[in-house]
Parts: sequence; C-alpha cells; structure tokens
Amino acid sequence: MRGPTALVLALLLALLAVAGLKHEIDAIPRTAVPGSSLIYVPSGKFLKAATFGYSSFLADVLFVWAIQYYGNPAIKDKFASFEHIFSILAELDPGWVDPYQVAALIAIYDARDVGLALKMYDLGASKNPGQWIFPIEAGHAAQFYLKDYALAKTYYKKAMEIPGAPAIAKRLFANAAFQTMDLKTAWETWSEVFETATDPQIRKIASNHLYRIKASSDIGALKEALRLYRVRYGQWPADLERLARGGYLSSIPKDLDDKDYVYDPRTGEVRTAVIPWKR
Amino acid sequence: MGNVLVLDNVRKSFTLGFIPKKRPVLKGISFAVGEGEIFGYLGPNGAGKTSTIKCVLGLIFPDAGTITLFDRSHLEPKAKTSVGFLPENPYFYDYLTAAEFLDFYAQLFGVPKDERAARIGRLLKLVGMEKAARLPLRKFSRGMLQRVGLAQALVNEPSFVILDEPLGGLDPLGRREIRDIILGLKDAGKTVLFTSHILQDIEMICDRVAIVVDGRIRSIGRLADLISENVLFTEVTVSGVDRAELAPLGESLTAQAGRTLLKVYDEERIETVLTLVRERKGKVHALVPRTQTLEDLFVDAVRRS
Amino acid sequence: MTVKVIALNTFKEAVRDRVLYLLLFFAALAIVLSRVLAVLTVGDRVKVVKDVGLASVSFFGALMAIMIGTGLVYKEIEKRTIFTLVSKPIRRSEFLLGKYLGLVLTLGVMLAAMTVIYLGLVFAHTLRFEARLLLPIAFLFLELILITAVAILFSCFSTPILSSLFALSFYLIGHFSWSLETLIQKTRPGAGRTALQVVYALLPDLENFNVKTEVVHGLPIPASLFLTAAGYSLAYTAFVLLLAVLIFRRRDFV
Repeated sequence: MRGPTALVLALLLALLAVAGLKHEIDAIPRTAVPGSSLIYVPSGKFLKAATFGYSSFLADVLFVWAIQYYGNPAIKDKFASFEHIFSILAELDPGWVDPYQVAALIAIYDARDVGLALKMYDLGASKNPGQWIFPIEAGHAAQFYLKDYALAKTYYKKAMEIPGAPAIAKRLFANAAFQTMDLKTAWETWSEVFETATDPQIRKIASNHLYRIKASSDIGALKEALRLYRVRYGQWPADLERLARGGYLSSIPKDLDDKDYVYDPRTGEVRTAVIPWKR
Repeated sequence: MGNVLVLDNVRKSFTLGFIPKKRPVLKGISFAVGEGEIFGYLGPNGAGKTSTIKCVLGLIFPDAGTITLFDRSHLEPKAKTSVGFLPENPYFYDYLTAAEFLDFYAQLFGVPKDERAARIGRLLKLVGMEKAARLPLRKFSRGMLQRVGLAQALVNEPSFVILDEPLGGLDPLGRREIRDIILGLKDAGKTVLFTSHILQDIEMICDRVAIVVDGRIRSIGRLADLISENVLFTEVTVSGVDRAELAPLGESLTAQAGRTLLKVYDEERIETVLTLVRERKGKVHALVPRTQTLEDLFVDAVRRS
Repeated sequence: MTVKVIALNTFKEAVRDRVLYLLLFFAALAIVLSRVLAVLTVGDRVKVVKDVGLASVSFFGALMAIMIGTGLVYKEIEKRTIFTLVSKPIRRSEFLLGKYLGLVLTLGVMLAAMTVIYLGLVFAHTLRFEARLLLPIAFLFLELILITAVAILFSCFSTPILSSLFALSFYLIGHFSWSLETLIQKTRPGAGRTALQVVYALLPDLENFNVKTEVVHGLPIPASLFLTAAGYSLAYTAFVLLLAVLIFRRRDFV
C-alpha cells in the first residue's frame, strides 16, 4: 500500500515542522505589559447590579487576580489602585475575611505602609463589626511595626469589647495600657484578669503583670523622692528609710510580694528584688 | 465485447458490536458483466446485493478478492469516469434545486459550462422532471427523488450504469417509465447492472441474471438458460365431475361453487381428465400449462441455501 | 478542479446554515457589550473596547468553525449524500480538501462581517479608522484555519456533539499551553522533563496568534512573528488534514 506510507511520512514531516516552528516562535521576544489586566478591574459604578447576583464569585475572581497582580514584581506603580481594588472587594463580598487580611499583609510587606494596612483592617472592621480578628491584628500591626502603643491600646479595647473575642485581647489591651504608662487602667484590667482566670498559668501571668505595674508605680514614686532628696542634699541617701523620715514619701512601698525593693546608694538605682517573670 | 466489470472471489466481513463479532457479508462473489447487456443482480433482503455494489464503487473495501472495472483496478479514479451510480433510497443535498444539483455533479465530471445546461435539460426531460427543475430537493417525493437520482447517474453520459433498486418506491406507471429508460440505455449501447428483489422487472428486461443468497451466488446465467421451458404442471379448472373421481388424477387446489381446480403433473393424465369430463357431461373452464418462472428459481435458491 | 467544485458547493451549503447567523448575532452583541463593560471598569475605555471586541471576534469565530465544521463530514456520511460523491472519479482526499476550503471560505466571510462590526464600534469610540487593528484579525484568521481543520478531522469519525467537545478542548488547551511551560521550568531535568518538553512542543499553542496586548497598548508587532505564526498555522493545519485523510481513506461507508 504505497498510499499510506507516503501519507504517514508527510504526517511526520508536518509534525517536525510544527515542533520546529514552535521553537522559533517561542524565541521571538514578546513585549508583555505587566499588569495590563488592571484595566478590567471594576470601577464600582453600578457594581452590585452589574454582577447579576454573582458578586461573591466575582469577588473570588478579583481576589485571585489581585494576589497575582500584587505578587508580580515587574509591575510598576501597582499600589496606586490598591485601596480601590480592595474597597471593591469589600463591596462585593463584605463578609469575606481573607481579602482584608491578605491586603494588610501586602501593605506591610510589599508596600511597607503600615498605615495602609491599618486602613484595610479598619475597612474589614467597618463591614464586619462582629469580627474581632480585625482590631486584634490591627493592634498587632500598630504595636510591632509602629511601636504605637496608644493606637494598639484603642484597637485592643475594641477587640476586647466584641462578644466572643478571645481572652487574650484583654491581656493585650492591658499590656498596651502599661506600655503607654496608663498604670491605672493596666492595674484594673490585670486585676480583672487575675480574678476571672481559671487557668493557673494565666493567673500567674496576671500576677506577674500586677507585680510589674506595682513595681513600676512604686519605683516611679521612689525615684521621684530620690531625685528630690538629691536635689536637696546633693547625694543619694544611704538607704530608703531616709526618704520616709525626710518626708519625701509617707511610707516606703514594698513590692507585691511584700518584699523590699533593692536600692543601690551609689547609683541611686532602685529595682525589684526579683525579675517579675521569675517569681 | 469485453467485460465491463469483473468480480473475482470478493469477500467482506463486518465487525459489529461492542465485543467485535465478525459477520461475513460477502463470502466469495464472482461474476462478470459483459459490455452492452442488462445484468440483473437478484437476491432476498440482506443477501449482500448492496454490499457488492458498494465494493464495486469503492464505498466499502473488500477483505479479499479483486474487482476490475474497464480492465482497471476499481479504485482508480479513471475507472469511474464512465460509470454512473444510483444508490438505494437516494439522499441528496436538500437545499439545492434539481437543476443546481445536477449542475454540481456535472461540474465534478468537468462537463464544460456551455454543454452543462443543455445536458441537464435533456436529462430532466428524460426522467420526466423538467417541470421540477427549480424546486428544492427537500420538497421532492420519493419517486421524484428516484428519477432525479437516475438523471444524476447519467450526468456524465456513462457507458456503464449501476442502479441499486431503481424501481423501489415507484408507482406502476413510474416503474414502466424507468424500465423503458433502462431499455433505452441498452439500445444506446450502454451496459446496465441493477439490483432488485422485484422479479417481474428482472424478468422483463434483463439479459443475464445472478441470484445471490447469503453472500454467495447461487445461480448465474442467461435468463433463458436458467429457466427451463419445460412444462411443470397444468392447471385444469373443471365442473360437473365429482371431486372424489378427480382426486387420483392430480392435486386438487381449490373446490368452490362446483368448480375444481386441479394441478395435473402427468401429460397423459390430462387426457384422462378431459375424457372424464366429457363422459360426465361436465365443463372445462380453463387449461393453463405452467412453466418455471423466475420466482420458482428464486424461491428454490433461497430454500436450498 | 474537483476540489474547487466541492469547495464552492460546501460554501453554498455552509452559508445557508442558520446557526452561522445566530452566532454572528451574538458576536455583534458581544462586541457592542464591550462598550458596557468599558463603563463598568476602571480601565481606559478604548483599551477595553478594543480588547474585549477582539476577544469576542476570536471566540465566536472559533465557535462558528467548530459548530459548522463538526457537522460537515458527519452529515454527509449520516445522510448518505456521500455515496454519490465517493462513487465519482474523485479521491477521498480531494473531497476532504474541498470541504475544508469551502468552510475556510465561509469563515473568511463571517470574519469579515465581524470585523466590520468591530471596526465600526472602535470608530464610534475613537472617531478614527485604525488600520492597525486589521493585524490581530489576520492573526485570528491564521488561528481559525487551524481550528477548522481540527473540526473537520473530528467530523470524519465522531458525532457532532462529541466532535464539538473535542474541538473546543483543542481550543482551550491551545490557549493554556503556556501553563505547561511554567510546569516544565519547575520540573527537575530528567526523563519526565523531556517527556513534558516533547508534549509541549507538539501541543497546539494558540496564544501565538494572540497579539491583543501589543495592539491594545500600541506596541510593535515584529514581522517575524507574523511569518512564523503563519508557518506554524500552516504546518499544524497540514498535519491535521493529513491525519484526517489517513483516517478517511479506508473507511467503509456502510
């Protein structure tokens, strides 16, 4: 059968040509415009209506696209539309938690803009007032990246007040309060924690914190008194009792365990007898 | 006068079904069609008539055997330039009119443009469809399609025409017209091969006949040679004679209203019957000698296989 | 010569198919709707219109090729109109080639119609006739002739529904073969990788014909791309058609 052999040969030849040409084409450089798909992001106009009830599906698509888009290092100036895109996502599917968190992460690590991350958390919180994760993570961001304990404190307070929030929210709040030197609130909160905690570990932690707060307060008072003494006498007192005798303090405070604070008359340093965590 | 078509030991099996089972359809078909004759290819349904035709035309490929068309391999396109074919129950492009349809085929054969219109006109007239030239084929009845199909088979003015059941679906008048056309083709020197299971048509116009049953040719030859002229029996219709008396003389076929139809095999017995009737003062109503018909041959062939 | 006759006859038949005009209607609708999409997105309106318009033309063109092509040969076999054809002095390969060219001609006409609508819409936006937009259309045509061949190939041995599925799969695979490239890059060198590379070289890469990004953003399209893409399309089409002829030549028409 001459026919088929000629055909099969021609077939193989064609296949070779295909492979060869494919190789050629792949070699041709194609200018890609990274991020050109941005033009398809919804503008928000008529958004809900335009999605015909498939808004959560569209949210999925948009989210997946956004992750690719923001993960692409080749795209220049990609944060210009960041807020817009995620606000659209919030519109399409407000109750979906992941986009807000991912957005915040992108803001922190890629854009290096913690403020933007906080905006994302706020957006999430505004759409989902019952979701404690947003204020907690916002508090973390404020605390770790901005070192802004005051801001962290307000976030943790919000989180604390949401029913169902984990107990740690309260403790984070208390800690933030301490860091901002709001000793009164810190003391009150830690006392609450101490009283209500069932886990002996937590009680220990609370107790340590209370110790620290008291120590802080006490040492603060002691240091102030010492300062005044030094102003007066030009030197540090030999011991702390002199401060009480001199009327600088009504009484010498003891720490939470009823132990004395350690005083070094040469340097004027007062510290606790023990490290709070090692009690 | 050579052979236009020669088949030699053609075999074909079809593998059907999910678990492939080989079903033999042609079990060694051999015959030849001579130039200028009308050859009838006869057989019961499912005998392999259409399959044989399809093998000849290259629609099916035989497993074994050879087919020669005009002394060429039947698969060569050149071999088919002088062949016309009308399939059984023809289907054509619905959306074309009869004239457009014939024009398409004429173009395929490379009939020059100026000749085409004239030829199409002649063909349509020949098959009696000139009035329906502009009608789309989807509006044609079965009989009309058959006629247009015949026109299509003749569009290249072939010297060999193959027709598969050309007389199916036609009324008696139509059948006579087509028979006349076929005879006309022979007069014009063309060779015709057609299949049928309508025996009268074959008897009326064929020169040679092949009977195929169950994939094998049982009988082949000139019609006159196959059917003996011998009288098989005589049918005698008499009245006025007692049935009991007639009984030993032949088979009594029917007896009603005093008439008896008798099948007498022996020639001498006829004399006896006639004498008996005269003696009894009865009447002879009919006396018909019956020779072998194609039907007898056919039924015989089917029974034997 | 016989090829030409069959091609023209096929063209006549295909052009009368109502499915074609239904699809043309939807294509027009899709092109016009790109205008609506432009309003709903942040992007440059003109860019969106050009891009979505081209995507619609591409998609509906492929759909037309598939829906008409997959029925073409199958119908002839089913309806037995093929009996009278194959019994004529034509080769089966001539028959197939005629059918193919007839369909390509039909699609060319349809593509032209869609292009007119597309350019009209772009004109309505930019008040300029951008001849440059004809380039992606030319690329699309290269893609369509390949898809048509595939549709006809499947039509030779499969029912229209199955054939359409296969042909559509071909189209989708063709547009996603770049993902295989990514996979190859991540695979360690070895037998597996070589196997994947062979598959990648042989799988259709229909993205070669996609110049939407270049056109929409006004970037240059190298001439070498067009020539190589044309070569690729022709080579692959030849392969598919040869395969079809191989399958078709010894087929029994029962």
